[in-house]
Amino acid sequence: MPPVSFVLPDSTAYALGPAPGRPLVVFFGYTHCPDVCPTTLADWKRVKAQLGRDAERVRFVFVTVDPERDTPEVARRYARQYDSTFVGLSGDAPTTARIMEAYGIAAAREDGTAASGYLVSHSSQVFLVNGDGNLVALYPFGTRWEALAADLARLL
Amino acid sequence: MVPPFLSASRARSGGVADLSMSAVRSRTPLLAAVFLLVAGACSTAEPPRTGRFVSSAWARPADSGATSGAYLTIVNADSSSVELVGASSPVALAAEVHETMTHEGMSHMMARTAVAIAPRDSVVMKPGGLHVMLMQLTRQLVVGDTIAMTLRFSAGDTVVVNVPVREL
Repeated sequence: MPPVSFVLPDSTAYALGPAPGRPLVVFFGYTHCPDVCPTTLADWKRVKAQLGRDAERVRFVFVTVDPERDTPEVARRYARQYDSTFVGLSGDAPTTARIMEAYGIAAAREDGTAASGYLVSHSSQVFLVNGDGNLVALYPFGTRWEALAADLARLL
Repeated sequence: MVPPFLSASRARSGGVADLSMSAVRSRTPLLAAVFLLVAGACSTAEPPRTGRFVSSAWARPADSGATSGAYLTIVNADSSSVELVGASSPVALAAEVHETMTHEGMSHMMARTAVAIAPRDSVVMKPGGLHVMLMQLTRQLVVGDTIAMTLRFSAGDTVVVNVPVREL
């Protein structure tokens, strides 16, 4: 997968790219999402617990497809709610477009109500990328978390 | 089949579920204790006669101002169908019932303004499906909190549920 660089709330760069020995688990969503995105992040927490200390080498990354509402700080806080090591990223419009194209992510705004604002339909697979930057597996939403845990255990 | 919701809801939620029904309030403490034992043995408690009963409620943690999702099971014990037509909570400026649909790798949500529950049937809200979207939270929800939520039905009745906040 092509590397893409984000700017964190503290203005440092975070490169989503190859890192030897450090697999990457990525999901694309938005923080106003009450169901699919929290379910995925909660599953990651179980994966991390299952892997024990080996999980320290895994990069769990949530990338927003709604950077207009999700500032870098909002995305960061959202991911960290589940685990302090989970990374939440929000890029500017070109960065978001670049990473969505790299991962083949689709997202579309849909009308909501006055209360909800717009909703975002989005690709909801989890991507597993190995430390060399190669895509290893895709997990459709609804896949049991044990599958990701087992694949990560083999990679680590 | 009607699940053993009466005491099971208490057993699963640690006693925080507000069953909000006269049928339960009228039972003696001794009888309630018997029901707890029965639930522990995975047996079916005596079904109540009428009304709506909620069990297995929980909501996700979320920041103040953000969005949370709540899940629960609603049993319609009546001999006629009823619709869930609304939800509200004092901790959210707005609440809507939504359903997640996933098709060919894309997930999206649809607002459901009426969810029908057949006579003596139940509706299960769970991750990846039906849920109550709690929007514009007036405060942060953290694991261990309990929030109130009111469900409104087409028969004109409401049920108030105490919903524990947890991650899973």
